Amino acid sequence: MKLRSKMMKVIFLTAVTLSLSGCWDHKELDEKAYVIGIGLDKHKIEGKVKVTYLIANPEVGSQQTAGGANEPPQEIVTLVADDFISSRNTANTIVAKEISYDLLRVLIVSEELARDPDFIRIIYSATKDREIKRSAQFIVSRENAADFIKNNKPKIETRPHKFLELMIERGQETGMIPEADLNGFFRVTESDADLYLAIYATTEKIEKDEAQTTDDDLLAGEIQVEGTTNNAQFIGSAVFKEGQMIGRITGEETRISSLLDNTWATEDILTAIKDPFDERYKLSIRISQKRENKYKLIPEKGRPTIEIDVPLFIEVYSDPSMINYAKNREKVKELKKSLTAAIEKNFTEFVSYTQQELKGDTFDLSIPMRKEFATLREFREFDWMKTYPDAKVKVNVSIRFGEFGRQSKLPKLEEVRD
Amino acid sequence: MRQDKGKIGIKEYFAIISLTVGAKLSDDTPAIIYENAKNAGWLAALLIGILSFFPIILLIKVYSAHKGKNLHEILLHLFGRFFGTLLSICLLIGGTIAVIADSGTYVDIIGSMYFTKTPAIILYIILMVICAYGAKRGIEQIGAVSWLLLPYIKITLFIALIFTFKKGTLGYLFPFWGEGPLEVAKASVKNVSIFVDFFYLALIMPLISSYKDMKKGTLISLVFITVELSLALVAYVVLFDYTTAEMLNYPFHETIRFIQIGFLANVETLFFPFWLVATLIRFSFYLYLIATLLGGILKIKEFEYLIPLIATIILLIGLSPDAPSITLYTVREKILGLLSPAFMILPPFMWIVAKIRGDFKNETSL
Repeated sequence: MKLRSKMMKVIFLTAVTLSLSGCWDHKELDEKAYVIGIGLDKHKIEGKVKVTYLIANPEVGSQQTAGGANEPPQEIVTLVADDFISSRNTANTIVAKEISYDLLRVLIVSEELARDPDFIRIIYSATKDREIKRSAQFIVSRENAADFIKNNKPKIETRPHKFLELMIERGQETGMIPEADLNGFFRVTESDADLYLAIYATTEKIEKDEAQTTDDDLLAGEIQVEGTTNNAQFIGSAVFKEGQMIGRITGEETRISSLLDNTWATEDILTAIKDPFDERYKLSIRISQKRENKYKLIPEKGRPTIEIDVPLFIEVYSDPSMINYAKNREKVKELKKSLTAAIEKNFTEFVSYTQQELKGDTFDLSIPMRKEFATLREFREFDWMKTYPDAKVKVNVSIRFGEFGRQSKLPKLEEVRD
Repeated sequence: MRQDKGKIGIKEYFAIISLTVGAKLSDDTPAIIYENAKNAGWLAALLIGILSFFPIILLIKVYSAHKGKNLHEILLHLFGRFFGTLLSICLLIGGTIAVIADSGTYVDIIGSMYFTKTPAIILYIILMVICAYGAKRGIEQIGAVSWLLLPYIKITLFIALIFTFKKGTLGYLFPFWGEGPLEVAKASVKNVSIFVDFFYLALIMPLISSYKDMKKGTLISLVFITVELSLALVAYVVLFDYTTAEMLNYPFHETIRFIQIGFLANVETLFFPFWLVATLIRFSFYLYLIATLLGGILKIKEFEYLIPLIATIILLIGLSPDAPSITLYTVREKILGLLSPAFMILPPFMWIVAKIRGDFKNETSL
């Protein structure tokens, strides 16, 4: 009896295992061309799109580079198609292997296409395809997506999946680019209450006035870099309303959005802010959030008031006016006061910019606000997207200081110059 | 009952229920609940659990007066030969259609989410052959396999849920009442038959080692499954927000494709096998139940031999619909709507008849 039940288990499990292999869907790894990124561009004929595939070469970068030592790490194919589903087979007229979206990491859309009202029709194919994952990142490129993919030639991280993964991950940690997966795009578009932010990137250089306001108040392409490096820049966000791109915000504004948003955690914001003790210089500070924001909605006739309490944890990393904060508690107090005022002003300015220009919030404000409603009907009648631009938004910043750099003491300027 | 020499204990009974009913969170049941209840789907699930408590407890009460008889025999006893058989036939048809729609849905899940190139007929045949084999081994073996695999299946599900909560935003659960308390209640009443399996469980009640174990096992699994289903519904909303969750055909599978575990991006390959095994056990058990009922109606003692026949019929009908993911969804919705009143009314009705007939006279508990 015992033997029989053991036998039965063995047969049962074997049958399960055998059925798992699936003869029809069986495909060897080297029989597939893995698409890491899809680029989408407008085509002059209506209803058609230009699809660009960024295909990774799995043989490069692995330990056994026997056959593919001299092969390039990636292959780029651009073709005109009806959408990015049927384009797979068209691509097979050039690429020998079966096109697979299993490892798709990014979707790159040109700004021109993203601003097209019909863009939403194209992008929704991503929910239909069986291989595309909702965790794929969404990038909007200033130039054509095909050019972006072609000109993006990382010098050290040559494997495209690794480069994109690291680039996006790090950018999101510093808050320069938003957390922008496809799932978020669909969610925000479908709930129709907030604005969606996609990653903004470019390989084009744009001349801008040297006397910039801050290091991060820039868009992709505006950063002046020299040297022998890759010319792709990832900074700022493309703003989407109801599935269509309506504008773009800079890296600094993206960072403000992340700080105002509870669902979105940035760990490592290094920025510079005007030194309150010397107009000429800027203080380098590191901002992080240890506690969550608090939101309050005060409904009033016609014009509701929204209060956002933003607790910030700030570490001051430079002291260009040589104040020597460690010895000077008064100055620390003064610094806190002026920083609070400056940051609050920044936040308030950005909020009123979103209210007037974008006519919607870029920081998922409707999510905490939903708590104030008992049923969805009430929430729908409130119509967040319509109400927000007229709402009175008050941002209260409270600052806690962390350390003042590794070495908090500085020599007295007068004594050094003596 | 040749192969059912032994009976199953409370462990196996609990394992069977939590795999068969519990698997519903991974098909299109959540989509059906979300349709009315929106983001308050989890409330609806809790309410369904509370609602189904009453028919289940009455069913157990009726059984307590007829220990050793299965559902069909109890129906015959209560309603007489003609009406009892008629009711059993209705139950058989309802159950078979439900299994056909369910198995069709599962084949569609496997076909559309994982094995996209394999023809549906092959998937269906494999599913039915394995399940028919499993069912033919009898309840004892199904119970043993369920109990054996239960921890693995539930632990992987639990891991998936933890990572879903980690990635999700709790704020999506608000507004608390969804479309409103009334809508939530409506969604629960309409879909209470998600737990109709408990009614069919009365077919195997005599096979459980003791009455006490049966009663305890049923109630424990009811609570467990209600909580589990509710948690899963919370998880999907937390991850996708209700507008998107409502649009997904199979939220569970979208979830395991979406979440990442550390550096592992494509984790669905980890969860899929366990889900598949749960599916196989589930349909083995359903085939067994249908065979028991059919055997009872046709007075066939060795009803195990009916299983291949039933599996073939299910296979043939299940393959026929055009555009399965759309057709089966509507069929399933309709069946749930039809079975709900039956599930709510039949056990109380049975209890009243039993009371009138005086079946409880010898009972001290009532």
